[in-house]
Amino acid sequence: MERISPHQFTTLGAAVILGTTFLPVASIVTGVGGRDGWMSVLPGFAVGIPYCLMIFSLSEQYPRKNLLQISATVFGKWIGNFIGLIYILIVAYLGGLLLGQVGDIYQVSIMPLTPLWVFFLGGIFLVLYLVKSGIEVFARFSEVVFPLIVIALLLNVGLSIPRIEQGELLPILSEGFKPIFLGTRKIMPFVMTYMLFLAGVIAFLPTGKQELSQLKKGVWRIIFLVGILDTLVVLIQLLVFGPAETIRLVYGLLVLGKLVEVSRTVAGVESLFLGVWLAAAIIKIGSLFFSVIWGLESVFGLKGVKWRHAIAVVFLGISFRFIRGPSLITEIGLVDEYLIMPFVALWIPILWGVSRWKRGAGN
Amino acid sequence: MKTERGKGHKFILRLTIIACLLFLTGCWGKKEVEDLAPLLGVGFDQGEQPGTFLVTEQFARPKKDSSSGAEIEDRTFSVEASSVREAFEKFSEVAYRTPFMGSLKVIIIGEDFAKSGDFNNILDFFQRYAEFRRSMYLVLAKGKAQDILNLKLRSGLLPAMAIKSNIEGGDEISVFPTVRLGHYLTILGTKSTAPIFPVVESVKSREGVEYKEDGKDEAGEIRIHGAGVMHGDYLADYLTDEEAKGYMWLENDVIHRLINTVDLNENSVKFGGQVLKANTKYRVKVNNDKMEIQYQIKTSIAIDEILGPQKQLSGLEWVELVKQAEKDFAKVIEKECESSIKKERELGLDFLGIGRHIEQKNSAYWKTIKDQWEAEIADFPISLEVKVTIHHSGMSSSSASNSGGEGQE
Repeated sequence: MERISPHQFTTLGAAVILGTTFLPVASIVTGVGGRDGWMSVLPGFAVGIPYCLMIFSLSEQYPRKNLLQISATVFGKWIGNFIGLIYILIVAYLGGLLLGQVGDIYQVSIMPLTPLWVFFLGGIFLVLYLVKSGIEVFARFSEVVFPLIVIALLLNVGLSIPRIEQGELLPILSEGFKPIFLGTRKIMPFVMTYMLFLAGVIAFLPTGKQELSQLKKGVWRIIFLVGILDTLVVLIQLLVFGPAETIRLVYGLLVLGKLVEVSRTVAGVESLFLGVWLAAAIIKIGSLFFSVIWGLESVFGLKGVKWRHAIAVVFLGISFRFIRGPSLITEIGLVDEYLIMPFVALWIPILWGVSRWKRGAGN
Repeated sequence: MKTERGKGHKFILRLTIIACLLFLTGCWGKKEVEDLAPLLGVGFDQGEQPGTFLVTEQFARPKKDSSSGAEIEDRTFSVEASSVREAFEKFSEVAYRTPFMGSLKVIIIGEDFAKSGDFNNILDFFQRYAEFRRSMYLVLAKGKAQDILNLKLRSGLLPAMAIKSNIEGGDEISVFPTVRLGHYLTILGTKSTAPIFPVVESVKSREGVEYKEDGKDEAGEIRIHGAGVMHGDYLADYLTDEEAKGYMWLENDVIHRLINTVDLNENSVKFGGQVLKANTKYRVKVNNDKMEIQYQIKTSIAIDEILGPQKQLSGLEWVELVKQAEKDFAKVIEKECESSIKKERELGLDFLGIGRHIEQKNSAYWKTIKDQWEAEIADFPISLEVKVTIHHSGMSSSSASNSGGEGQE
């Protein structure tokens, strides 16, 4: 069985959790939290830490098993399989929607006349190729790509500083702490989506005590690194556009990329940022693709190339179903908030609690 | 058997990669650069038919015999249309090149069109369509935008490029605001602040500047002078040069300035100088049980010109003269700011963004007055504190004069 190292786990985790969040995050948190929305990003991601620790605790108890297999052991086969079925449906649906978003973003921004199927097929081809190589290669791919994503984001943020408008951050906390709570609630689905991947990938993680402590440290690093990056992304958009515009812009970071100008020579580098974003999107979609594979394997015992191709067809089907950009973006928001968040928020703590209770009762 | 299958897979993979290289080398609908017509400026004027507007578009056409390859010629069209997209459709019928919007530098709003409103509707296309950048400049035209874009300038520059160059060189004189599309949209989002635009106008000979005309009675120069204040969608009024200068001080937008005290009557000695740096801060504080906003302007000036003194100055006199200059420059700055504040009160439009300043510094108080802010503007207490520091008085201590000989008193 393949294994990934704690370092690979950290970069892969950071790449998956960051995924495509940096595009909608500013509009989402500013929409509910206004001028103070940026302060809710880090607390929102931090909510993921106890969930990660619960998953590691379960992994310690049931080494080399993913959370679906653990659910079947703890809750029994029927309930476990039912949870597995919901899991598969959710990750496959979100994966297909995110594949659709690749087409939407490229068509909206820099390639308006290119047919959507080119983006969908190109995206799924890359994902299939990565998945075929296995989780270890996938982790190595993210080790190479993640630093590039971080550099591109920081460059975008840094080069936008000359466009900052005076005083857009003020007043701070004029509405109290309520906007921060509202924003935190909106951020939580991002980190919950990562839990879906972590639920499967734990079966590939080392189980030694020393490695486990490294993994736990890795989780803190992931959460804070991604939380800080997304906070910077929200902050710069708020400072440049002001709250009303930040809410209104669908892909504000791309608009920032268009504003970048270095010495009146280099301008409009949004295409470069979009290239990096594609890599991030592929990692995110790939992680959901892996999750579906693990789900099918754990629940129905289905594995092999033909099932991978079947998943690809499902992903494509979903993305072709949502060729209207506004419907797609709204649907992603609904899936995040009303499917993923309640499912993960309940499943993992209950599983952890019941497992601990059973262990206690067994003792 | 397995090896055969592996070879088959590799062959298919290679075939796919070759196919991708051959067929996906460019995007769909790609255009060669020579097929594009870079758009430099767009002007909007009132249309003759109701619900229409006159769109003037200035494209660049690379000069065929240009030695550097960077010289461009004018290609300007005007059409009447009900939407910007319709206007582009009409342009495309006559132009053999595809308009490229990413190069747009300036949008000019004609005076009549700005006064009639509907301005934000036409801007929607420019903030929505992905090819445009929010860094383009917005200006108001004195008269018609079409006339400005059709000018044949003596400099040989296309009007759109001349306006862009004037704006980008504006930091040297800081007498008009710089408004990019992105900035305008941000201001629009604040609700309490009235947007403001610089005003561009054509200059004929003897209209403030004299130059040798080419025989026709047409303007050969262009300048940016003063500003226009918007109320919602329409142009409410213009700011004079002095009011616009006051706005620049109060908005902390002065980078460098050329300034003089010629209009001050109090002192027979007049000074001219250059602002080296300037910084404006504001405080919202309680004064006599009433909330007020206090502006603190600090600036450093170098004296370049002294008119009046006809004698050699002693060291002490030189110092005193410089101190007098500090007071006089401060008075000029105060006068400019006060005229701007007076205009704000008269119009009842917060183009100085005072409401937003109050919100930034005291949001609790702002919540109590924001609903009746337009009425509050007229008498909201505003105070000014201007501090000028003269860094030097140039290369000489006294002006050149016929003082009667060396060493004489």
